[in-house]
Order: sequence, then structure tokens, then C-alpha cells
Amino acid sequence: MTTIPKIRYSRRSMLKAGGAAVAAAALPAPMVWGQAIKDVTLRQFGTGVSNLNEVAAKVKEDLGFTLEMTALDSDSVTQRAATQPDSFDIADIEYWICKKVWPTGNLQAMDTSKIDNYDKIVGTFRSGKLTPESVIAQGTAPHTVGFTSGANGTDFVAEESGWMTLIPTIYNADTLGIRPDLIGRPISKWSELLNPEFAGKASILDISSIGIMDMSMVVESMGEYKYPDKGNMTKEEIDMTLGIFTEAKKAGQFRAFWKSFSESVELMASGEVVIQSMWSPAITAVRSQGIPCVYQPLEEGYRSWGGGIGLSASLSGIELDAAYEYINWYLSGWVGGFLMRQGYYSAVPETSKNFMSEDEWGFWFEGKEAKGDITNPFGDVMEKAGAVRDGGSFFDRMGAVACWNAVMDENQYMVRKWNEFIAA
Amino acid sequence: MEPRPRSFYVLAAFFTLFLLFLYGPTLTIAVLSFQGPSGGLTFPMKGVSLHWFSDLFEQQAVGDIWGSFSRSSVLGLMVMATTVIVSVMGGLAFRKRFAGSGVIFYLIITSLVIPSILISLGVGLIWSQSGLTVHWSTSGLGAQLTWTLPFGLLIMFAVFNRFDQSYEEAARDLGASPWQTVRFVVLPIIAPSLIGVALFGFTLSYDEFARTLLTSGSQNTLPLEIFGMTTNVTSPVIYALGTLTTIFSFLVIGAFLLVVWLMDRRRKAQGSDAGKGMV
Amino acid sequence: MERVHRRLKAALLVALRSCCTGAPFLTSDQTMTSSGIIHTPSKPSARALSRHSVGWLLASPLAVVLAIFLVAPIVMIVMVSFWGATEFSIYPAFQFDNYAFLFSSDVTYRVFFNTFKYAAITWLFTLLIGFTVAYFLAFHIRTFKWQIALFLVCTIPFWTSNIIRMISWIPFLGRNGLANSALMSWGVIDEPLEWLLFSDFSVILAFVHLYTLFMVVPIFNTMMRIDKSLIEAAADAGASGWQTLWHVIIPLTKPGIMIGTIFVVTLVMGDFITVRFMSGSQSANVGRMIQNDIGLLQYPSAAATAVILLITVLLVIAILLRFVDIRKEL
Repeated sequence: MTTIPKIRYSRRSMLKAGGAAVAAAALPAPMVWGQAIKDVTLRQFGTGVSNLNEVAAKVKEDLGFTLEMTALDSDSVTQRAATQPDSFDIADIEYWICKKVWPTGNLQAMDTSKIDNYDKIVGTFRSGKLTPESVIAQGTAPHTVGFTSGANGTDFVAEESGWMTLIPTIYNADTLGIRPDLIGRPISKWSELLNPEFAGKASILDISSIGIMDMSMVVESMGEYKYPDKGNMTKEEIDMTLGIFTEAKKAGQFRAFWKSFSESVELMASGEVVIQSMWSPAITAVRSQGIPCVYQPLEEGYRSWGGGIGLSASLSGIELDAAYEYINWYLSGWVGGFLMRQGYYSAVPETSKNFMSEDEWGFWFEGKEAKGDITNPFGDVMEKAGAVRDGGSFFDRMGAVACWNAVMDENQYMVRKWNEFIAA
Repeated sequence: MEPRPRSFYVLAAFFTLFLLFLYGPTLTIAVLSFQGPSGGLTFPMKGVSLHWFSDLFEQQAVGDIWGSFSRSSVLGLMVMATTVIVSVMGGLAFRKRFAGSGVIFYLIITSLVIPSILISLGVGLIWSQSGLTVHWSTSGLGAQLTWTLPFGLLIMFAVFNRFDQSYEEAARDLGASPWQTVRFVVLPIIAPSLIGVALFGFTLSYDEFARTLLTSGSQNTLPLEIFGMTTNVTSPVIYALGTLTTIFSFLVIGAFLLVVWLMDRRRKAQGSDAGKGMV
Repeated sequence: MERVHRRLKAALLVALRSCCTGAPFLTSDQTMTSSGIIHTPSKPSARALSRHSVGWLLASPLAVVLAIFLVAPIVMIVMVSFWGATEFSIYPAFQFDNYAFLFSSDVTYRVFFNTFKYAAITWLFTLLIGFTVAYFLAFHIRTFKWQIALFLVCTIPFWTSNIIRMISWIPFLGRNGLANSALMSWGVIDEPLEWLLFSDFSVILAFVHLYTLFMVVPIFNTMMRIDKSLIEAAADAGASGWQTLWHVIIPLTKPGIMIGTIFVVTLVMGDFITVRFMSGSQSANVGRMIQNDIGLLQYPSAAATAVILLITVLLVIAILLRFVDIRKEL
């Protein structure tokens, strides 16, 4: 089975939905507007990763109002958030996109006192530290663009100000995907991406803000250069990084570049590519076709990303209340469980736990061996009993984040150089 | 009949290869769309089923196929109607030279040759800078017209180039007003060509991608949806959709051909041979 | 030999004249002015508006559409190409930065070269294939009904989704695709051919596949109008098949070829999606450069590239139009 999810509940998830009703009833939901809120329609857009119709269906069921979902690629997402503020009510965007879009004033700050589970949001999105001992990774770490100075702020502030730009919803630690059957030996370093052994069988993604970070991981791993701050390169560093990759491209290292989720799946599944930058659900999509594919943990750590929900500046009145209700619902666990069972992490893991079986929680979050078959929310078997998640537990994985997807000060320069790299 | 020269067979073989080249990929995906439920995007086939077609009719994880299909159909009809009307008027206008007709003619040519992405970008910029909201039925419609109108007009020019004006003279001599002449003489004669214009208008719009890209707003038309699916979807459902849209296109063409044939028959029955224009 | 030559020349003259005046396609009471617009002797009419007003009245919807959706966007793009951009917004300015960057980067020249390369190679193949197909249909198929039927068979794929037609090549050409498996099972090759997919080859293949029809249609159209007696005359005069083809048919088909060329060249030069899909994002043409900039919100720089592309395309078309008067050839 592949990843076309459609509404098709396994018996187990039906049982769980029963549990969900209990959990939802236990949550105090503000029902000020009563019946009228049922007529509200909120327009949400974002990438296909989390903009799933099933979430909209569940919103209708649990909250009563309508959520219209539009799924776009990340370029279009940025574009719409920045240039068409009237075309959406809720923006489901990544933190690095937020760094670009927030200063436009198209989004409004969110009052954390209205967020029920604010205190339970993982530290990464608040103080920046997953655990008090954690070192903050380079790049656009979510907490650096997560707060603003006040209700009308268009700036970013370092501390938890009570006004959030995005409510974190989904995140993960990314690494290289490999085809172990076609490589036939262990892979442990980012530098393998440019290993001539894989000439014509490697790929990298063509989204500059993400791709440049993968590149920097590779460059450091090769021992070519140690960046003072990968997340904020100088022009020289950008030239050097892209120079190394341009050379590799001309030498025929890459089979293709991919720009979308499905392209990465096809490249890997068809065997065109054996090692490439990849996203976690793409790995599961390849695996569910019966093709071996591993999300290889690497010595140098992960490149991480996070997404969140932002509210359009034009939202007010009952729509705004509905939006807050939606956010509280989002963090209350059902969506978290839904996303975590696809390999992502939820911003409030402890609420999601109520919506996952013990075995699922053990496998996806704690890195334990699966006791039974692990299925995704759509009923497809992802892993057989006995499997262990690549990279281990939540804290193993999110604790080994080396950098975040980033928007640099020299972003415009980087983008131009990136285009040259693609055209070279 | 004289025997076929040898060149005939060589060329016939070439033509067959050409058809194979033309239809090969379409047939490939048509076959792949019948993949078994566990099949992937490539060969080998893992069983044969209608699974992916039935999947099309259920809600997808992301996107809205049928919504975009109905939008594209409505937009196609809007573009078709506008193209027919504007092309006929334009065609009539260009039968005589008028001040500025040369400029408009070259604008039509420009409209035909301008890279589609420029229209998309320019219209998108105008709309965003003037604070309007792009929507497929306004900015999208206009952007598509810049592509369908040149086709419609060129067909109309061709039609009027061959138009026998003695019919109009006869009408005028019998005291018909200019409007009556157009309504009762010219239009019926050029009607078959209008079917052609309509067919172009609809299908060019139905398949238009680049000009709609930045001008359709928050709701996708079908080609944009298909493009979106190529980025999100990793199952043969996209082939099933491709096969269905191809069949739909065939049906549309078939319907148009049927209309042409019916009109032709009626005309023959009435014994007139006027207006044998190209379609 | 001398006589053959003279007769051929005569046939050619007739052909050329008919081609220049469009004579066979006009009824006897019409005339053609040098501009190619058909004039009928105008009849005096008491309530006649001036022909200018009538013309403008009839052309006004057309003019409005063209003004709003063609002229204004072009003006807008030219304006914005002088603007500045930040990460997330654009602001009015009058600066040459975008052009300066464009012209200072050697990638620009490479990308334009690439665009021309794709256009030229695609043109060559579509012309050869399109001409042969049209020739077969027009001169080797004997009944009109079959001509139209086969012609329609050729045109049907044109009405279906381009994106679908494009991506359907991918399972065919891949490393483990149909083409490679077939070639390997026939023993033609031992290793899969890597260059079948994600290469210039696959890009051009897709272009030829998508756009050959734009060559077939106009060439077929002009060929159908060639007076068959000209060919008989040439044959009577002792011309070989090749001589007829070279001295009679090709010169008479030139307008169709030109129109087809205009279509193919502009479609290829303006493309951005075929190159992305079929090259696996590995090579770029101007359209992709523009689209990348758009995706990254760098509208002014996209606009500057667009202006240069537009100028290039219009120049190419202007040159092509010197060889053909479109209005006459319809």
C-alpha cells in the first residue's frame, strides 16, 4: 500500500476514537458562541505534510465548524502567506517561512494565556532547550522566531513573551535516506552523499533554505570547513559550500534534484537514487511499497524542522474564537497522535499519548521494540513486530539536532547562488 | 488506381511509428492506472484492478479533485463562450481595415507568442499590487483568454478570408439591416467554424496550466490540482485521474464532432453548400 | 533537360504567385490588398457609421481583454523589473540592480544558451517529423475522408493534459523503466542507459512529443491547399519525386513551416515545467529561472528576466514574420 490515505479506519483506530471522545469530553472547551460557531468556515493552507483532509473531517466532528484545506508546495506556501493575506484564515507554515512572513504583518500574534496546553509544549519551542541541558542548534531554531513583543508586534523576541507567532504543531529530525539493499554497507556520515561511489545515484532537495543546511552538514562532515554558524553563513561561506556541490554536480554525482515529497519517493522507490536528503514520511512511503529504505541516523546529528499554525491578521470575532478553539483542539492530542503515528512528533507529546496505543507510543516516541505490527492511521502496516525506530527515542533523535532549516541574513544572496547551482 | 509507390510504404511505416510515439506514454499510464491495490507508480503490475479509479471517488488525503474538476469545467465553459463571442466580433471587425487594426493584430500575435508565465506573473502582480484578490473566475478567466482568443481569432480570420460576400450583398439588396445580415446570413454560414472556435476555447482552457498558475487564487483548477498531485501523491491514483481526464477530453471532442456532423447533415438536407469553412 | 527546367520554373512561378496572393482561396469578386486584408467594394449606405467606428465597436471587447490582460501585465512587468525586493515584499523604486545582476552572472548566459539550444533542437526534430507526417497525409492518402480521419488521430493527444503526457514518460524511461528493460532483454545493452531520463535527451524527447503537432497542423493545412495539378505538371515535366519535393512542395509549404516554427519556438522558449520534470531539476531554461524567482518572492528579479525573455522571443518572432504574412496564410 502506498500513502494515499483515505478514510478507512482499522478496528483498532475505531476503538481509539471511542477513547478520543472520552478525552475530548474531559477537556473544557469554551462554547461561548454555541450554535453560531457551526456556521464558521476557516480556510487553512499549508504543505501536504500536515494539511490533511482527515484533520478537517475530525474538526467538523469534534468542533462543528468547517475547515477548508488547501495543500501546496513550500514555495507556494511562502508566496501565499506573504502576498495573499486575504486568501486564508489559518496558515500552516514552517518556522523558517515564519521568519520571512512574520515581518509583513499578515499574521497576528497569539495570546498564550488562551492556549490550554501552553505549559506542556516541549521546551524546544519555548526556551529552545529540549531538556535543561540541551545545547541550542544552529539555524532558525523555532523559539527564535516563536515569540513577538505584543499583540501587534512584527518583531521577534528571545524570551517567552506571552505572544506567539506560530503555535507549534509538527516537527521532526531529518537525515539522509538510503537504500541499504543497493548500498550494501553501513552509512554513518553525511559526507557519504558526495561519495563518488554513489555517482549518478545521489540526490538532494531543491528547496534552498533546506538544501543549504543539508549541504553544510555534508561539508562539515567532509572536514572541508567548520562553520561558525551554519544557520547564518557569510557570502564567502555560501560560495564555498555551493562551489563544492557545483563541482560534484558537474562530475555527475546527482541523478536528479527533487522538489516535492512524491518526487523523493519515486526516485528512491524506482532505484534511480540510493542516497538522498529525505523526509521521514517519504521513507515510510517507500517502505510500504515493500522496498527497503532506511532513515539513517548519522554521527554529525540531524537537520531539524518545525511547523506551526499562524492566524491571519484579518481574523476577528467569532472566527478568531473558532481559530483559538481549533488550536486548543489541535494540541489536545488527537492530531498529535495522528501525526506521530506517521513518524512526526507532536508539540505536546503527553496529550498525544492518550490517542496512541502503548505499543505505538513505545515504538514511535520511546524508541522501543514494536511488540505487534505498527500501522499508520490509515491502517497500512508500517513496521512488523520486533522493529525499532531508526535513530531511537524522541530524546535521542530531537536531542541530536545539529541544525534547523534556516533563513540567513544573506538569504537573498544565497537564493541567487542556489539558482546558479541548479542551472550550472 | 495506380499501385502505391514504394515511398508510400516507407512513409506509412514512419507514420505508424509516429502514432506509437504519440500514444505510447498515454497508453503506458492507462495500463498502469489498472494497477492492483498494492502496486506502485512503475512496472511491474501487481495485479489488475479498478482500485485506483474507485479511490478517485473517495476523499483524498490532500486536495479536492472533484471540486477542481467542476471549477475547470465551469471556467472552460466561460472561456468558451467569451472566446466565441469576442472572436466573432473581432473577426467581423477585421474584415475592413480600421485605424489601429494593425496594432491590434500585432497584439494578437504577441498574445499568442508571449511566454505564458509572463501573463501569469504580470496579472498576478497587477492584482496583488492593486489589492484585488485573484480568483479563477476573474483574473484566471482573463489570463486564459489571452491564450484562447488568438486561436479563435485566427480561425475567424481564416473563415472570413474565404467568406463569399455575395450572400451579404444579396441580403442587403433585399433590404436587410446590417444586424439582420449578420444574424440571419453570416452567423448561420460560419456556424460550423464557431464549433471549432468553441472546441479550442474549451479544451485550451481546460488544460491551461502556466497562465492559471498565479492567477487562480486559493482554489485550484484541474491542471493545477494534477500538478499538486504530482508533488504530494505517490500512488497510481494520479494515473487513474490522467486516464479519466483523457477520456473526458475524448468525450468532449466526440461531442463537438457529433454536433458538426449533425449540422452538416442538416445543411445537406437543406441543400446549401455555403460556408464550407475550415473547422 | 532545358525544357524540363523551363517547365519546372513555370510551375514554380504559378505556385509562388498563388502563394503570395492567396489567389486560389479567394472568390473571384474579392481582392487582396498588399496588407493581406480582404476588401470588398464598399457600397454607399446612408446610415453607415464610418468603418473606423464600426471596426472599433466590434473590436472593443477584444481590445479591452488585450489591454487588461496583455498590455497592462507587460507594462507592470517592465515597471516591477526596476523595483526592489526584500525577503518578503517588493517596493517601488527605479534601480537597475536586477538587470545588473542578471547581466553580470554568467549563469544567465548559460541559461539563455540552454533555452536556445532546446528550441533549436526541438524545432529541427518537430520540423522533420511534422513535415514527413503532413506530407504522408496530404500526398499519399488518397481519399479526403481518410486524410481527415488520420489527421484527427494525430491531433487527439493535443487535447489532453500536458502534464499527464509529460509524466507518463517517466516510468517508460527510468533506469528500471520499460525502455531499459526491453533493450536489456533484447541484448542490445548490458547496463541500463542512464541518459534516457533526467537528461537533455529526455527534455527534448518530451518537447518533441508535446509540440510536433503544432508543426503537423499548419504544414498539413498549407499542403492541402497546394494545387495537385502543379505536382502533376512537375511530374509531366520529368521531375523526379525528390525534385518535385524540393522545387515545388517545400517552397509552397514554407508558410506552414513558418507558422509551425513560430508555435514550436515560442512554446519551447516559454516553457518552465517540462524542463523541470524531465531533467530532474538538473538543468534550467529561462522559464525555470523566472519561476524559481517567483517561488522565492523575488518578483523584481523575475520581472527583469521576463523582460529579457520577452524581448528575445519577440525578436525571434519578428525575424520569422519577415518570411511569412500570417494573415495571408490563414
